[in-house]
Amino acid sequence: MADVSRPADLHVEARNEQPGVAVVTVAGELDVSNAETLESVVAQVCDGQPAELVFDLRNLKFMDSAGIAVLLGGARRVPNVHLRDPTPAVRRVVEVTGLTTVLKLRDAG
Amino acid sequence: MEPGDAAIADAGPGSTAALGPAGVTESGREADPEAQGAVAAPYSGSRWRLSRAALLTLAVGLLITAALSVAALILYNHNETRLLKLRARELSLVLSTAVPSLQTPLASAAELADATGGSPKKFRAFMTPLVGVGRPFASASLWRAEGLPPAPTVVVGTPPVLASRPTEAKRLFAQARTSGQLVLTGLLPGAVPRLGYAFAAPGAGGGYIAYAENPLPASKRSQLAESTGFGDLNYALFLGRSRRKSDLLVTNMSHFPITGRQASTVVPFGKGAFTLVVTPARSLGGSFFENLPWMIALVGALVSMAAAVLTERIVRRRADAERLAVVLDRVASENRQMYTQQRGIAQTLQHALLPEAFPKLDGLAISASYVPAASGIDVGGDWYDVIPCPDGGALLLIGDVSGHGLRAATTMASLRHAALAYAAEDTDPAAVLSKLSNFVNSSSPDYFATMLCVRVDIEQHSLCIASAGHLPPVLVAEGQARLLEFEPDMAIGVARNWQYRKTEVSVPPHAILIAYTDGLVERRGELLDEGLERLRRAAAAEPPELDRLVADLARRLPAEEHSDDTAVVGIQWRT
Repeated sequence: MADVSRPADLHVEARNEQPGVAVVTVAGELDVSNAETLESVVAQVCDGQPAELVFDLRNLKFMDSAGIAVLLGGARRVPNVHLRDPTPAVRRVVEVTGLTTVLKLRDAG
Repeated sequence: MEPGDAAIADAGPGSTAALGPAGVTESGREADPEAQGAVAAPYSGSRWRLSRAALLTLAVGLLITAALSVAALILYNHNETRLLKLRARELSLVLSTAVPSLQTPLASAAELADATGGSPKKFRAFMTPLVGVGRPFASASLWRAEGLPPAPTVVVGTPPVLASRPTEAKRLFAQARTSGQLVLTGLLPGAVPRLGYAFAAPGAGGGYIAYAENPLPASKRSQLAESTGFGDLNYALFLGRSRRKSDLLVTNMSHFPITGRQASTVVPFGKGAFTLVVTPARSLGGSFFENLPWMIALVGALVSMAAAVLTERIVRRRADAERLAVVLDRVASENRQMYTQQRGIAQTLQHALLPEAFPKLDGLAISASYVPAASGIDVGGDWYDVIPCPDGGALLLIGDVSGHGLRAATTMASLRHAALAYAAEDTDPAAVLSKLSNFVNSSSPDYFATMLCVRVDIEQHSLCIASAGHLPPVLVAEGQARLLEFEPDMAIGVARNWQYRKTEVSVPPHAILIAYTDGLVERRGELLDEGLERLRRAAAAEPPELDRLVADLARRLPAEEHSDDTAVVGIQWRT
């Protein structure tokens, strides 16, 4: 029951970087056990109708399809969505699902 | 147990049990009243009624206390009796020291009389300092032993009472002459009773008897004990060996006969004797030992009660804990039951979506394996199918809906039906995926799905592949395995009217194509490419036998915790 009773470690933080640019920092592991946590944060952020939604993923070590679904949910409500600094593992998952046109990968570098 | 086998077994008879949950739920409800009773009645025993263990503790404690108290009491009594005997002996020793102080002057006087022929002058001169108030004797006299009737020849002090009792005098003097020791009269009556002592020098020719008398203290009461360090004793001194009150000489006791703890001893006194009876005036061993039995009883009773209360608390706590454990156990069991039911429903639905059997196709073998997540209430939305095409080829479909549980499974169900419908219209894989992208996007906006659609041309030994964000299949041929990687296309459910690309691949004879869902390669803490490479190597290492390869990959490759469902489907050209 590991995936139900013991959710993976996840830290979510939302802020406005510039007017109209909302940044949601997601760190740890994002999977089916805790995707709802991020989902509620994203829903709140989208209610503010930002022009741009940025997911800061530099410390996100793992993301499964349930996590991607949450990011896509944000992309449905905010036209401009970027994934900032995704780790290689997360980047690869987004690439392989062919979603890079919706969830644009961007390295802050 | 083969994971794949387990899944198939679950889908069979297990599905009936899982799909008939009404009965199970009802029976669960029926069990409720009993459960309610147990939960609603937390230790309903009376607040003041002790448990058996507490009562036992109290009883044992009180028994031990009583035994200790009795033992202390017995010990105390024994000790007191022993001490009393010792004190009686000590007192009798003190009393017997009086003998020489009486005998010596009388013996000297008798010998002096014998030597001087009974000189009154000498006798008076010798005895006068010893007679009077505050001196050893009240009356002293010299008698002739043979004189009949016996009469004193010389008298110093008050006249002897014995002079008026010739019979007693005669008997006394005879006794004195034969014994050579101090002899005692009986109690001599008078206003103040007296006691007389007589001594005759042994073997003397003169035959004189020295005699003295002393009055008894008023009312025979004496403060002797207080003045001699025996204040802790009451005593009675009797003449002779009797304890008759008529023989009582002195005492400080007021009640006769003497009762209670007592000790008596015979005090030799010249030819005669006194009997000394003592009782304790207070505890001889000290008040601590006197009170000890009662202190033990009190403390023991208190300790017993405290122990009983403590035991009661422990018993009640344990009872509460056991009751709680039972309740928790029931809750856990109900949870397990509910969990099993839900999981059963989802799994049943999932397996209903998977093909029971593949079509028989000339020149193509098909094999598949499904490994459900090891644990968790959710089942994945994985699905695969192989459907024959009108032209003799086949269409292989495999997909994975994001998320888990009933919603994922139902999404996959609608996706499956739509895919089969679209495939009937057109077997072009890119066209099937394009139509599906519209379908999912409109029907289930919170989910997305990856899907691989492969058109298999058996005769031409070629594949036409379209992928909606799905993981690349593996082609095993001529002892080698490679991933059929191409530019990934958009997953289904994200963008409408997406135009999917298709890739043609020609395959060697006896080639094997393995398609799968992410549970087979995805592991936490590593790049997806590492999982893909692990799969490629494993596929290359196995002998090219389809059923075995599919089963082995499904069994060995998923992560140990396999928290995600895994589907593996493979096809192999027979030529």
